[in-house]
Amino acid sequence: MSIISKLFGKSPFEALYHHMLKVKFCVDLINPLVEALFEGNYEKVDDYAKKIARAEHEADLVKKEIRTSLPKNILLPVARGDILRFLNEQDHIADAAEDFVVLLTMRKMVVPEEVKEEFKVFVDTVLETCEIAMETSSEIKALAETSFGGTEAHKVMELIEHIKVKEYEADNAQMKTVQKMFSIEKKLDPVSVVMWMHIFGKLGQIANHAENSGDLMGIMLHNTRGK
Amino acid sequence: MEISFIIFIVALLVSFYSAINIGANDVANSMATSVASGALTIKKAVFVAASCDLLGAIFVGSHVSNTIRKGLVDPLQFSDCHNLFLFGMLASVLGSAIWVNVASYFKLPVSTTHSIIGGVLGFGLVSVGFAGIHWKVVLYIILSWIISPFFGGIISYIIFSIIRKFILNSSEPVKQAKKIGPYFIGTVAFILMMSVLFKGIEHLHLGFPFIDAFFISLLIGIVGFFIGGAILRRYKEKQIDPYYQVEKMANPLQVISASFQAFSHGANDVANAIGPVAAVVTVLQTQKVTMEVSIPIWLLVFGGIGIAFGAYVWGHRVMDTVGKKITSITPTRGFSAEFGTATTVLLCSRLGMPVSTTHVAIGNIIGVGLARGVSAINLGVIKKIITAWIVSLPAAGVFSIAFYYIFIFLFG
Repeated sequence: MSIISKLFGKSPFEALYHHMLKVKFCVDLINPLVEALFEGNYEKVDDYAKKIARAEHEADLVKKEIRTSLPKNILLPVARGDILRFLNEQDHIADAAEDFVVLLTMRKMVVPEEVKEEFKVFVDTVLETCEIAMETSSEIKALAETSFGGTEAHKVMELIEHIKVKEYEADNAQMKTVQKMFSIEKKLDPVSVVMWMHIFGKLGQIANHAENSGDLMGIMLHNTRGK
Repeated sequence: MEISFIIFIVALLVSFYSAINIGANDVANSMATSVASGALTIKKAVFVAASCDLLGAIFVGSHVSNTIRKGLVDPLQFSDCHNLFLFGMLASVLGSAIWVNVASYFKLPVSTTHSIIGGVLGFGLVSVGFAGIHWKVVLYIILSWIISPFFGGIISYIIFSIIRKFILNSSEPVKQAKKIGPYFIGTVAFILMMSVLFKGIEHLHLGFPFIDAFFISLLIGIVGFFIGGAILRRYKEKQIDPYYQVEKMANPLQVISASFQAFSHGANDVANAIGPVAAVVTVLQTQKVTMEVSIPIWLLVFGGIGIAFGAYVWGHRVMDTVGKKITSITPTRGFSAEFGTATTVLLCSRLGMPVSTTHVAIGNIIGVGLARGVSAINLGVIKKIITAWIVSLPAAGVFSIAFYYIFIFLFG
């Protein structure tokens, strides 16, 4: 065996891409789950929730693998800490998605008819935020090819700006949903309201983590460019 | 005379055996990046490596061979007993060959260069003693071992930074590649010609003085520039991923740099196989030890053929395993690493410094990595190499000393 081949470590970017796919799998199941919830099909909701939990676990495994494959004596094109922080934040997206659906399955939650529209918009904006974050993350292989610079980096920087805008929209949508819910608070039982507040909070956090992961990608690029 | 003749035959056989080993193992190191990046198929890589190694050995191989033949241990000290000198040289080539095999068995990444130097030093110490060794030369050689990977690494760092800055990070990577690529090709042609022509082999009428060699090489470099430009211009830009296209365009560049590296490898490493034998041959030719006789061309060809043979017959297998392991390297990275390695090794060859091609190659890959060209480099390898390096000198020396005494016992 040649010493040259031992010199090359496993690329963390390929693995980061795989991690993104797992997270994306979780996030993509949220929409069908919410639709099932709207229909009151709790069996289907449970089914999707299980799938999300499984994908979240798989994402965890990929995360662990990446961490163990990055010992300190590996030379990388970007700072090791930046990669790990980004990975951690991307993983939080899946964690938050799982928490969100767990809350939904704890109790047979009925979406009040009046809130449905706002809630749907809220879910969609959060998912759009994630969508852009995943797109940003999927550029990481191309970034490695161009050594984290040039037009590719510009493209990613622009995507990161988009995430920020979407996350802001998600915040607004969350506020509107909450306001709507309180406007009909007399009709609702208090336990439901408490649960909904938790649920909305978690949903909002998914978008927050998506935004943070974009920010950390930006830091990764920024640190590299200064080098 | 009869003993000398036996020694001569045995020395030839052993050196051919070492040459085959060098070819079989090192060819993977110089060509693996080309195979891994898809610039060459294994079959073509083996062919290119074998032929370029042979050329390098013939045209530039004499300088390092001279260092091993007469630079470390002064042959004039054996004027009264030149059989001892023959025994010693034979013992070094045999001892280092066996040490390399032992080390490979234990999976130690040793270098044939370090082993042969260890071998010659070993026999030198027991025959002419501490004072009989040219320590200044030894010091230069050891310094070259330390400096060469760094020097090469810096070249590769610069080359890849240029590629990154002016090609990969530009808004029109394919156009920029067409503009900048020819300069690389011209530079390769220039360095290559310079190494062959400047005070090259007299027998082939290549002994040009600096100025003449410089201008001829410059001319050929300019020719290379235009030919390279013509090749790259033929590439038609498509509406697909520009980086993919740049890598595709870098394929011919990488074939050139890989050939360049194989050439340098032949120039430097042929000495590990034939250096000691060259000493034996010159003694037998003149029946006395002398400093003046130059290395016969046939011996360089002989060593070159050995390396080419090893590369051709056993290179496949080694390259296959190495190529599959390195998947992260692309033609632009491969070119940067190989260009730096080849230039460094060739420069060292011309200075008569026996350096380890593999170690220089590793320094260069790290150089590309520092320029953010490689997604993950395992720096733990460096520790292994340093260990093997430090073990190699005394170990090969001990083997050489043992053989030296065996020969004296048998023939003395």
